[in-house]
Amino acid sequence: MALIEIAETSKLYGFGDATTLALDEVTLSVEKGEFVAVMGPSGSGKTTLLNLIGLLDQPTHGDYKLDGRLVSRLSSNQQAKLRRDYIGFVFQSFNLLSRLSVIDNVSLPLAYKGMPPVRRAKRASDILELVGMRDREYFMPHQLSSGQAQRAAIARALINKPRIIIADEPTGNLDSHDSKVVMELFAEIHRQGNTIMLVTHNPELTRYANRVLYMYDGMIVGDERTPIGYMAKHARRIYFKKLRTTDDDIAAGVSALLKDVPGQEITTKGQKRKPQGRKRGLKQKVSRSKR
Amino acid sequence: MWSGNLRNALSSLRQSRWRTTFTMLGIIIGVVSVVTIVSLGDGLKRQVSGQINQLGKNVLTVRPGTIDGKHKSISNLNLYSYLAPSTLSLQDVASIQNLPSIQAAAPIDFVSASATGDDGQFGDVFVAGTSPGLWDILHERAAYGSLFADDSSTDQQNNIAVIGSDIATKLYSALNPVGNSIKINGQSFTIYGVLPASAGSLLSVTGADLNSSVFIPESAAQNLTNNHSNILQIFAQTKPGANLDSSVKAIQQAVSTSHNGVNDFTVLKQNELLAVSDQLVGTVTSFMSGIAAIALVVGGIGIMNILLVSVSERTREIGIRKAIGATNRQILNQFLVEGLVLTVGGSVIGIGLAMLINLLLRLYSSWRPVVSLPIIILTVGISLAAGVLFSIAPALKAARKNPIDALRGE
Repeated sequence: MALIEIAETSKLYGFGDATTLALDEVTLSVEKGEFVAVMGPSGSGKTTLLNLIGLLDQPTHGDYKLDGRLVSRLSSNQQAKLRRDYIGFVFQSFNLLSRLSVIDNVSLPLAYKGMPPVRRAKRASDILELVGMRDREYFMPHQLSSGQAQRAAIARALINKPRIIIADEPTGNLDSHDSKVVMELFAEIHRQGNTIMLVTHNPELTRYANRVLYMYDGMIVGDERTPIGYMAKHARRIYFKKLRTTDDDIAAGVSALLKDVPGQEITTKGQKRKPQGRKRGLKQKVSRSKR
Repeated sequence: MWSGNLRNALSSLRQSRWRTTFTMLGIIIGVVSVVTIVSLGDGLKRQVSGQINQLGKNVLTVRPGTIDGKHKSISNLNLYSYLAPSTLSLQDVASIQNLPSIQAAAPIDFVSASATGDDGQFGDVFVAGTSPGLWDILHERAAYGSLFADDSSTDQQNNIAVIGSDIATKLYSALNPVGNSIKINGQSFTIYGVLPASAGSLLSVTGADLNSSVFIPESAAQNLTNNHSNILQIFAQTKPGANLDSSVKAIQQAVSTSHNGVNDFTVLKQNELLAVSDQLVGTVTSFMSGIAAIALVVGGIGIMNILLVSVSERTREIGIRKAIGATNRQILNQFLVEGLVLTVGGSVIGIGLAMLINLLLRLYSSWRPVVSLPIIILTVGISLAAGVLFSIAPALKAARKNPIDALRGE
């Protein structure tokens, strides 16, 4: 039985004419222990998909089974408890609580579980040791470098021994060195048997994943298994292709890369849905894979 | 979890010190005013009842004006009678004195509210003419000098005065003032005796304090006021063993006869007097504390405002907390605790301040406020209730935030 099972799930935002289809009947199943990288242009629905999986958001249609249990229609409190016990979040902007020390931040999920302070401090110390932050336990978040803050955030995500770790562009605010440290940490966590879902714009990072999903316009347009240590095939194509982006492509605004993408027919059959959200520029555009 | 919430609340309140201080100020002002006003009222009640008890049960009071109905309450006491010239006369005093069941009768004949000492004029004084019978009725002895006795013995020296202890202190500080003079309405009076300091203000219903009173013989008062007497009340002490109710009837009859059957006066027993004064003080106190309670409610609204601001400022924090598994209830509690810390803090500081104000009042004024435990408990209870009540809306707002929107916020 798959850990995550999503069946024909859609997510709509807004009402009437302003309705946006963020997820378009997505069907996905993720097995325990997979390291899934999700790629796609901005507004392609990556974050929406992860929010649904992370129970931060409810689907408009469709079912979501987590560990065999139908969770998409639970009350917000039950979902909060599932988030606490099943899911660890790592955000692009770290999202540590600025008024709490590192160790308090890390142990906060345990506090919500009702664990006594001494025990949770002990657990938090152990986890911080794991991410190499033991010596920064009593630092405040603003005293940390970005890389350290993200490691603390990862420690917080790990503290409840979650079934899934959801990381939304965890290296987006980090320099290349810190990115590497953080990704190595994810790799280590994955080696210990954890399931990780990672949203990224950086094709390089698919080296750490053993499965890559490509999203476009709220759909999963590509699903590729890839050996760890190698950049995914399609991702690599984008990676090298983007170097050849011309000024004309930039002037065109919408990615020139998409011009010759298979699956173009979807957008030409009058069903075109423009990617929502801000444009990030060509560098981060991702082409679709063949279906 | 609660201790965590508490620590959290303290740290977030500490972060915006000024805001916290001013928010608390609302509650502090409310608590201080409620506690102070109620304790002043209680103190006043105690002073009046102390004074009335000091008189003894066998002292009847005759007052101008009428109290109708079965219940002798202040609402029935004709206020006009306080403003109009007194309907009582010295003749009434005499006729009461002559009743067989009455041992002594003494008028309080208001003369002036100012007097002049060696250092110049001073107000806040109550000059009244009375008869020597008053000393027995009040159980007073002179602290210095002596109290004037029957008019006959002091005929040759009519211009004498017995002064209260506060006046003695004001005029001569530590010196013995007996033999010195004091001027009332331009006439010089020799100080004949000084009353000991008394705790209760004997004449508090008429707004005067025994300690700042000057008593002169009735005949001298008549001289001063050109035979216009303004008798605020007559004390009548019954003989030992005399029936109070029949004495009341006898007085009513005697005075009524001399008033041509017009019932324009009231005879009160001590317990009735107590009831009337209690009610008067009680009404004023509850009215004032009602106003003060509004301050408390306004303070509560201030807390609500600040919490609402705090909730929207911390939208992202709420989002993060929810993402890592905080339930609605846990978020609710977090903000409730913050509101409670504000109210409890405000209440504690407010009560401390009220105590300080009471102490200062006791030290530097003639007020004798009494802070009672029930009042403190009540005030804290009300402010806690206001705190919880007004924190609920912001806390609910925080708790119901959608984690996605909250995370995106800021």
